[in-house]
Order: sequence, then structure tokens, then C-alpha cells
Amino acid sequence: MAMQGRPAIVDPVARLLAGYRPISGVPDELFGADGEVRPVWSTLIEAIANMSPEELAAGQARGDQYLRDAGVFYRQYGPQDAAERDWPLSHLPVLIAEDEWHEIADGLIQRADLLERVVADLYGDNSLVADGYLPPALVADNPEWLRPLVGVTPRGGHFLHFVAFDIGRGPHGEWWVLGDRTQAPSGAGFALENRIATSRVYADHLSQSKVHRLAGFFRTFRDALIGMREHEDGRVGILTPGPMNDTYFEHAYIARYLGFMLLEGDDLTVRDGQLMVRTVDGLSPVSVLWRRLDSAWADPLELDETSALGTPGMLGAIRSGSVTMVNALGSGVLETRGLLAFLPRICAEVTGAPLKLPNIATWWCGQASERAYVKANAQRMTIGSAYATRHLFDLDEVSAVAGAFTRPLDMTVEDWIEARAGQLVAQEAVTLSTTPAFEEGTLVPRPMSLRVFLARTRDGWQVMPGGFARIGRTAGSAKLAMQQGGSAADVWVVSPHDVPAETMLATASTPYLRQQPGVLPSRAADNLFWLGRYVERAENLVRLLRAYHLRLAEAPKEASPLVAHLETYLAELGADPIDGLPEGLVDTLASASTAADNIRDRFSVDGWMALDDLSKTVRKMMRTARPGDDTALAMGILLRKISGFSGLVHENMYRFMGWRFLSCGRSLERALSLTALLATFADPAAPDGSLDLAVEVADSHMTHRRRYAVATNRATVVDLLALDPLNPRAVIYQLNEIAEHISVLPGSELHRQLSPLQRAVLQARTDLAVETPETLTSATLTRLGDEIASLSGHIASTYLR
Amino acid sequence: MLYNITLTIGYAYDYPAAQSRHVVRLMPADIAGEQRLVAGTLSVTPKPAEWLNWTDYFGNATVEVAFREPHEEIDFEVKSRVERLEGAPLLDMSPRIGDLAADIAAHRMLDPRSPYHFAGNTRRVTLDARTTRYARDTLRESMSTLDAVKAIGEAIHGDMRYDPEATTVETPMLEAFEKRHGVCQDFTHIMIACLRGVGIPAGYVSGFLRTNPPAGEPRLEGADAMHAWVSAWCGGEVGWVEYDPTNRVLAGADHVVIAHGRDYSDVAPVRGVMRSHGDHTSKQAVDVVPITA
Repeated sequence: MAMQGRPAIVDPVARLLAGYRPISGVPDELFGADGEVRPVWSTLIEAIANMSPEELAAGQARGDQYLRDAGVFYRQYGPQDAAERDWPLSHLPVLIAEDEWHEIADGLIQRADLLERVVADLYGDNSLVADGYLPPALVADNPEWLRPLVGVTPRGGHFLHFVAFDIGRGPHGEWWVLGDRTQAPSGAGFALENRIATSRVYADHLSQSKVHRLAGFFRTFRDALIGMREHEDGRVGILTPGPMNDTYFEHAYIARYLGFMLLEGDDLTVRDGQLMVRTVDGLSPVSVLWRRLDSAWADPLELDETSALGTPGMLGAIRSGSVTMVNALGSGVLETRGLLAFLPRICAEVTGAPLKLPNIATWWCGQASERAYVKANAQRMTIGSAYATRHLFDLDEVSAVAGAFTRPLDMTVEDWIEARAGQLVAQEAVTLSTTPAFEEGTLVPRPMSLRVFLARTRDGWQVMPGGFARIGRTAGSAKLAMQQGGSAADVWVVSPHDVPAETMLATASTPYLRQQPGVLPSRAADNLFWLGRYVERAENLVRLLRAYHLRLAEAPKEASPLVAHLETYLAELGADPIDGLPEGLVDTLASASTAADNIRDRFSVDGWMALDDLSKTVRKMMRTARPGDDTALAMGILLRKISGFSGLVHENMYRFMGWRFLSCGRSLERALSLTALLATFADPAAPDGSLDLAVEVADSHMTHRRRYAVATNRATVVDLLALDPLNPRAVIYQLNEIAEHISVLPGSELHRQLSPLQRAVLQARTDLAVETPETLTSATLTRLGDEIASLSGHIASTYLR
Repeated sequence: MLYNITLTIGYAYDYPAAQSRHVVRLMPADIAGEQRLVAGTLSVTPKPAEWLNWTDYFGNATVEVAFREPHEEIDFEVKSRVERLEGAPLLDMSPRIGDLAADIAAHRMLDPRSPYHFAGNTRRVTLDARTTRYARDTLRESMSTLDAVKAIGEAIHGDMRYDPEATTVETPMLEAFEKRHGVCQDFTHIMIACLRGVGIPAGYVSGFLRTNPPAGEPRLEGADAMHAWVSAWCGGEVGWVEYDPTNRVLAGADHVVIAHGRDYSDVAPVRGVMRSHGDHTSKQAVDVVPITA
């Protein structure tokens, strides 16, 4: 029988690439100008081609699973909200050959050195302006040129320590710099996560391939940061704007990865020119800050007066030379688009050589001749704000692309250019190279730009051998931003030789660096304390709600004074059970999540996800649970989830100060709930069944049966839930716990007078310990509750301010 | 003219502030050829834990104080003696307003008095089509820059109602402009916006006015508190000229300068940040008394 059509065996690579068509006239990363697959890609493409669709899908699922487990997300700003979104990983890395990478690195190092000289001049004697290399208006009108920092030389002499460049491959295959990132470049941590996730996708392949590792770059930079301290006791911190920032995940991740404190402006204060962090052990000097906060927000006293994210006096600390900022405040001035128009000439002037990597051709419209040129050539340009710092593809405000406005404007493009003049800059419209991306299982060419990171070390600039690739959603070049549906990809720099294995651990040959002993910033302690309180509070509400719905299932509340009594009690706790699951419970869990959010760097990802799961479950139950048995069952599920969370945290958390605060919060809240419970349900006037309810809510049913050979009576219940030092559900037990935690916190050293907090705890313990079940009346319990509640204020004023 | 000037500014907080840090610009300036600070002291109660003297970007004497103990009040008191020098009569050698741009372009330096700092948007003064149109309507093409400054100042003085109750220190410039009322700070910001809108660099001057006028002259508005007026750049030859739109006069022997800046934010008399909650009240008293020898 004659075979017709295709041969039976198809080359798998040919099959994989059969539908891949680079766009004509646009360079492609996978296919070289000769129409052949670039050699650097061949082994990866072969490996993929030889994977079955199931294998590939499983690999991609592994990568995605890793990202979810690691809690990687980014914040997307919508018209109403700023939601956390799953990380959009493109499952195919961008591959670049080592020799080509060396050229890129060379060019970027030259550029980083040039930018250092420019920024030193802008904050120094401004000779570039005086000599005509920069127009004065471009500097004076620049919101990132911070006048209070003019004349301030950074400690150590350098403004720039960590920079990034966005680069893309232009129409003739050459690399262009699209933008300079000197303010507080993000993406390095995400690059690391992309690498880990991508290596899960191609686990078998990556172990044999010759891809440069990233860890060495981070280790070197970490050591450089530690090396910038002037004294052994100065600390290194990472300054973040806080959890609402779109890259907060990365701040927390990098802080954890490098082992530095994650700080917010309010954690810091200035004493006699020295920057300090408020810790539970008092003020501790900070010597180096890697800031992820834009300069303008850093000090409300001298910079943006509306900033609630900064530290008053920060500039004074910088002027006095007590702290090194990475990068120096004011470095953001270099990100200005308008500067790109002048850098080529400045480079030739100050270094005597041209830029090794050209930047995208740029014209500043503040000069008459340039303005005329831009008007005449608007068709092949993108025109936008001269002072904006994003790259023009992001189209962040009114822009003109190829001679047409991106948003309606009541004038011609020419008049607009004339009117806005120096406010505008024009850039040549470039088409970026494409790189393969998976779309529904097949490879398609998508536009791509790279962010490359450079860190200053003792031996000069180090370039991260890899980076962060942004991949467009569609074939056009305009929508690379993740906010606009783009995705992110790993970047592999592939060597022809074996590459050294790198880890964060120091090798035996490098000098020994002592890890800094941990300090606990007061804000972190505050959040841990309240996390403990909120979770315990939620558990108490859930137990009460379960008891309520169990009884509701047995008897309507009209027939049961106990149900009515419990309903009133719940309502007083802000959790009225009448209209289904109370908002109070949802709010309590939301508060717990917020507290956990604020300390992501100190909190296990598993713990955080367990908490997130709790909130989601409650929200779902709110819609579905029916009063009675159904809700009682639902509360049982919640209880198990809360126990899961508590177990995870208390089993696994390192027994250091942070855990002490979390535990103090929990103990304090439980002691409070128990006193209130007893005052309400062990009161002689409480309805029948109250005592059993109290024992049930306190989860002490079994213990009661074992300890007392009688049915519940007031004496046994009060004895068990208030006075039994071995029952974790007794008030005295929790007060003892608090006393123990406090005895190892700062300020409680042996052989010293008691601190006011210790005195208050001792007083509360003593007041309770001398009671008997008979003397411990409801009124006494209520008084004791007030005493315990006041401990919270004592803890706050001792440690948390 | 020699003056004795006293100023007290006090803040009272509803709740004690745990800590606070302030930057104050309250001391009359020492300006060669214009004004001499003969003597001056600043006292602060309670006693600050930190006290730093520095000069800000625009050359203003600045004091930074910090308090570490909880406090419910802070009082600043300045006592000073200032000699205000009589300038020579101003000869109008400023370019026609159409030619001012060329004068600016000829200036290539970015020193603190450079016109470039005072041309664009600043925190409290944003160029707006409304103020720019208002300014254009008062100008004729043949005017010199100095005449343009005066014309715009006179127009604002004529159209605006002085009303200490109508605005606060936080009222946006445009709101005061739309309602045509306010105090010296509003008059000054509006005039700055108008001048910048027509290409004349303009800045903010904080200072004092002599409390009681010379015999036979009317008492000036704003004399019982700190005052503000405009500084306008009238070309390379004439340089900076100060005009007081609240009183429709060129600033002269009755005006004592504290600080120069781009707008109020650069020269705010007291800028503070505290760890506290709740509101506060403030009081201010100024006395500017000529010494007749």
C-alpha cells in the first residue's frame, strides 16, 4: 500500500517550530538574521521538542505551583481597587549567548559610570549646565532634582550602588538602552523568582545546561551592602513604602533572601544626626538603607510635605554622613526621559568615547531647532512628557504616537508641541525584537525588552548574569507592561562552557562575615502582637457561634433563654448572629490578614497562605451557610483551619522575640475571652445550661469530666477555667504565660527592679491567684478583665512605640 | 530705617505629641545692600533636645529643632533688630516682555537665584490657563517687564478682596483666585502664577511689614502677622524686583525680608512633623517698631 502525504517520522524540532513565523523586518531572538535557529537556543528547543505535551504541561504547572506556593504576586491597579494578581510567568526563558552578553555588560557598565558622573555633577557644581551640555530648564523643572540635597556628597562618595537598565534589540539586531532606572529599580527579586519557577519547568534540562547562576550576584551585593557600614553595630535595612506598594512582595522577598530588616519610614527616627530603627529593645543605629521608596517621600520635613511614608530628619542624617542610601536620595533625576537626548554628547565629552550601547534616539522639545525637527518628523516618533521616568511604551499620560494623540486633545500635534515645548520629549518609534512565547501550546513571536541589573561592589560594577524580561501580550510593541497584560520571563545567559555553581552561602575562601544578630522593629512586634490577638479573637467567636447554632438547631431562641443570652453576648462582641455569619468575624480575620501582610518578611509563606485561606473560606460561607446545624458544621471546619494555622505558626516559628509578641497577643486575648465568658455564663443568674456552654466554648469538656467526678457546677467551672494553672484554657495559665514571655523580653533582666509592665502582670496574677471559686464573683471577674485589658497598653508603651 | 521686631508663634496640641521635629525660618535675613540683621535671637520652649542651624538651598537661615519628650505646646519667639537700607530709585531698564525669554536664555547658570527655578510649576503654584489668561488680559505688547509686573500686581489688588477669614494656609491658589479673596499668601501665589504664566520668573518672599505707618499714611494690610509678597525677575539688567500685591506697592523700606523661595512651601515659617494624633491650634503675634534715633 502506498503511503501518501507526510512521512511517518517528523523531526520534533521542525514540528515545534512549524508554526513560528517571525515578523518580517523585525529581528527575532530565536531565529537569527540568516533564518536559522540561533545556536544558543538549540539545546533548549530540542529538549522542549522532545517533551510530550503532557510533560510540558506538567512542567509548566510545576512552575506555576512554585509561584503560588511562594506567594509571588503583583498588585494591579484597577479603577476601584488594587488587587493582588497571580504572577504572569511566560514559561519560556529568553536566551542570550555569553559573548553577546559580555558586550551588553560592557556597555551598561560604561553607562552606569557615566550616570554616576552626571548625578555627581547635578548635585555638585553643575558644570554640565554651565558648559552648555545640559539645558538649565531641564534640571530646574525636574521634580526629581531635589534642591535640599544639592551640595551633599554621599558618604562613601558614590550616588549609585544598584541600577537597572531597560534594553531592547533594535531593527538591525543591535541593542538599545530604552531607559535608565536609578531611583529604586524593582525586578531583581522577581528575576530570582522567575529563575526558580522556570527551573521547575525545565528541571531536567537546566541541570545540564550551561546557564549562568544568579546567586553569586546577590551574594556579592549583600556583602557590598554590609561592607558599606562604618561601624560593626550599624545595621543594614531595606526601606519599603509598605504593603500597598505594587512591588511590596519583592521587598519582603529580598529582605528575607538577603537577611536584612525590612523597614518602613515610621520604623525609623533620627537622633542627633544618626538614623535609628525603633526596636523592642530601644533605638538601634542604621548605617545602610537599600531604599525601595522614591526619594520625594523620604522626609516630610524637607521633601514632599504630604508624605506619610517617610522619616522626619532623614535628610539631616544624610547630611551628617551617618547613613548610606542605596541609591542616594535624588538619584531619580537620572531617569528623566529628557536626559536621553543629551547623554550621547555628555558621554563623548566626559569620557572621550562614544556610548558603547546607544540609547533610543531622543529629542528634547525645549530647543527651537529640535522642536522644528520633531514637528516635521512626528509621524515616526513617540512624543510624551520630558520628565516622566517610565519608558514611552508605557504611554502614561497624553502622548502622541506616529502623529496622533493617544487621548483626545483639542489642538493639533504641532500646536501641542509648540505650547508644551520643554515639557515634551520625542523618541524615535522603535520596533523591539520578538522572542518565542507559548500561546495555547504553540510558540508565537512576542515583543520583548530586558531589564538588566548592576550592583556596585568593591571591585566595580557587577552585572547580574540574567535579568527580567517583559513580554508583550500581542505582536505590537506598545503593551509590554504587566499592568497591560504583558508577562514576565526568565533570562538565561548561556555559556559554551560549564558555569560555576553559586549559592548564597559564603565559600571557604571568602572573608568571614558575621551575621547580624536580629533586632525586632517595634512595628513588626506590634503587628505580631495583634496578629496573635486577632486570630485568637476569631477562634473565640467561631467557638461561640458554633455553640449558638448547635443550640439553635435544638430549640428556637424564643423557647431557650440560653440561646437568647448567648445572642446578646455575641452582639456585644460585635458578632450578632441573627443575620447569618456576622461581619464581625470577617473583619477580625481581615484584621489578622492585614497584620500578617505588614510583616511578610518575618512570616512563613505557609502561615500566610493558611490565613488567606481562612478569610476566603469565611467569605464563601457567608454566602452559603444556613442557620442551625449547617452553620455549626461550617464553624467546625473553620475551627480546624484556625487550629491548622496556629499549629503551623507555633510549631514552626523560631523561638525568638517575634514569637514572644505573637504569643503574648494570643495569651492576652484568650485570658480576656475567658474572664468575659465566666462573668457572663458562670454568673449565678445565668440561664440553665450556661455552665456547660462555658466549658464547651473553652474546649474543656473532657478535662472537666476527668478532673471532677460531678456534673458542672459554678465552683468546678470557675476552678477549671480561671484558677487551674495546668489548663491552657484557664485565665491563670495564660497570665503565667504572659509573665514568662515578658521575663525574656528586653527590660526584664535578672536582678533588677521590676518594670512597670512586669509589676502590672504580677499584680493581675496575684489578684487572681488569691481567689477561690467562691470569692471569684462575676464582678471580680469583670474587674480582672479590665486589669488584663490594660496590660495591652503597658506592652504597647513599653515596646511598640 | 532701623526696626525692633518681635515675633511669637505658638502651637497647642489637643493630645501631647510624643516626639516632633520642626524646621523654622523666622529670623530676618541679612542681605548685602538691602537689609542688615543687627542682632537677633530665637528662643524655643520647651527646650529642644536637638538644635541645628543650617542654610537652605535658597540661602535662607534655617533652624531645625527636635523634641523627644511628650509636649502639649511649643512656642517660638524671635527678637531682632534690623536695618532696612533704602535702595536707589529703580530705573526701568527691563526688556519688553516679548524679549524677556531671550534674557532668560542668555542666563546659563543654575545658582539659587537663577530665574529657571522660578519659571515652572512648584508645589503650591501650578500654571493654569485661567490665571495665565487673566494676566495676558492686563498686558500690552509694548510694556516693559517691570511695567508688566506692576500692571498684574495692580490688577490683582483691584480685583481681590482682602479677607483674613476667607482662606487658610492650606487653601489652594486656584480656589482663592476663583473666589477673588484671601490674604497675603493667596495674593502672592496668584500673582506668581500670573507672572509665570506670561513667562516672567517669580518667587515668594516671606517677611514683616512695619506695624504702624509713618504719620499721615494708612496702615498697611497684614501688618499684624507675618507677611508675604512677590519677587519677579525683570531681565539680566534689573534682576529681581519685589512687589507687594496685597498693598499695591513695590516692596520698600517698610518691608523686612525673612526668606526667599519658589512658593510658600519653600519658606514656611514653621514646618513640623510629629508623632501624635488630634488637632492643634496656633497663635501668632508680630510687632515691627521703627527706632527713631
